[in-house]
Amino acid sequence: MSTKSIGAEYLKGFWDENPVFRQLLGMCPTLAVTGTVITGLAMGLATTFVLIFSSLVVSSIKRLIPAQVRIASYIVVIASFVTIADQFLKAYFYPISKAMGPYVPLIVVNCIILGRQEAFASKNSVGRSFIDALGMSSGFILALLVLSTIREILGAGTFLGYQVMGAWFKPWTIMILPAGAFLTLGVLLGIALVIERKTMRS
Amino acid sequence: MSLSSRMIIVLTTVGLISGGFLAGVAQLTKERVALNIQKEIEEAIVEVVPGTTQNQKLHQEEDFTIFSGQDESGNTTGYAVQATGIGFQDKITLMFGINDSLQKITGLTIIDQKETPGLGAKITDWNAFLQFWENRDASGQLTLRKPPAGSLEELSTSEINTITGATISSQKVLEIVNLSLEKLKKIISEGKIAGERQDVN
Repeated sequence: MSTKSIGAEYLKGFWDENPVFRQLLGMCPTLAVTGTVITGLAMGLATTFVLIFSSLVVSSIKRLIPAQVRIASYIVVIASFVTIADQFLKAYFYPISKAMGPYVPLIVVNCIILGRQEAFASKNSVGRSFIDALGMSSGFILALLVLSTIREILGAGTFLGYQVMGAWFKPWTIMILPAGAFLTLGVLLGIALVIERKTMRS
Repeated sequence: MSLSSRMIIVLTTVGLISGGFLAGVAQLTKERVALNIQKEIEEAIVEVVPGTTQNQKLHQEEDFTIFSGQDESGNTTGYAVQATGIGFQDKITLMFGINDSLQKITGLTIIDQKETPGLGAKITDWNAFLQFWENRDASGQLTLRKPPAGSLEELSTSEINTITGATISSQKVLEIVNLSLEKLKKIISEGKIAGERQDVN
């Protein structure tokens, strides 16, 4: 059982336990859909929806599930919410759903979600699991936004589709290719480590 | 209760509840999803066959569909062909328009593609690629111009500019169109078109 204050429970997802920069979880969507800010944001919100509802359901039925079949049960719960998110995007945000391609259904295998069920929701109260899911999702959205902002501005000269760089700017095509995702993530992880060391020393 | 029967009961219950729930969600969104796809195709037809306000599906086979377009007074504006073929990375689905004498391609639009972002994906870009498809001569085969001509005027009417850095994607689109043209001409000359009328506004 977690004994942190509610505020600390929420904030840990932003930095101390940030799913992308500190736990290195959910790398596949982080790398794949951050070519533009809009798809990065949509992925962040879809993951938030799945994580929050899965945590709510798992933390409320945790006592009923035998330990031997817990992973299978969690996955069924997660997959259901992912399918709902996928259907919703297809029905109401068709262009975004097309741009994200197979990555919405692939939220099922995003380790952030199963990881939070196993590490947190299955051991804590419904309320705390909700705060934890909210914090982790916020940290995930933050990471996707940082990555996709850098990649869209350098790779296309735009932010959310609006031109932000002058006519002199020649877009770095590599930034919107997979290689650009790895480069950006690597640099950001390096920066995160430097900040971590600096704060530990002081 | 033994552990194994508890496991079976829990998993079955979880599965049933989630299955039932998803069936409900699918019911709710089914219509809208189908509508989105249909709307996309209709918009594409209007885009490639200028002046079209209504269309009919004339012929359909795997990865190849022919629509005819009409203006408000019911005159034929031309045909729109939706075709799917292999691209550089994955399938490309496109639609092109052709006048009713089958002599002139009136426009092209890409419906679905997964080409390399920033390179092959430029096949969806008006300035880089799509503008070259307006008013092309469809009496023979279309060819690629490589290296690309500096302006639209320099191209002959049966040529399409290659996208710099995405020769294969350009080539694949051209192949799909050339193949579909042949197919379309064959089907129309054999008088095979007698598909069910499907008026859509």
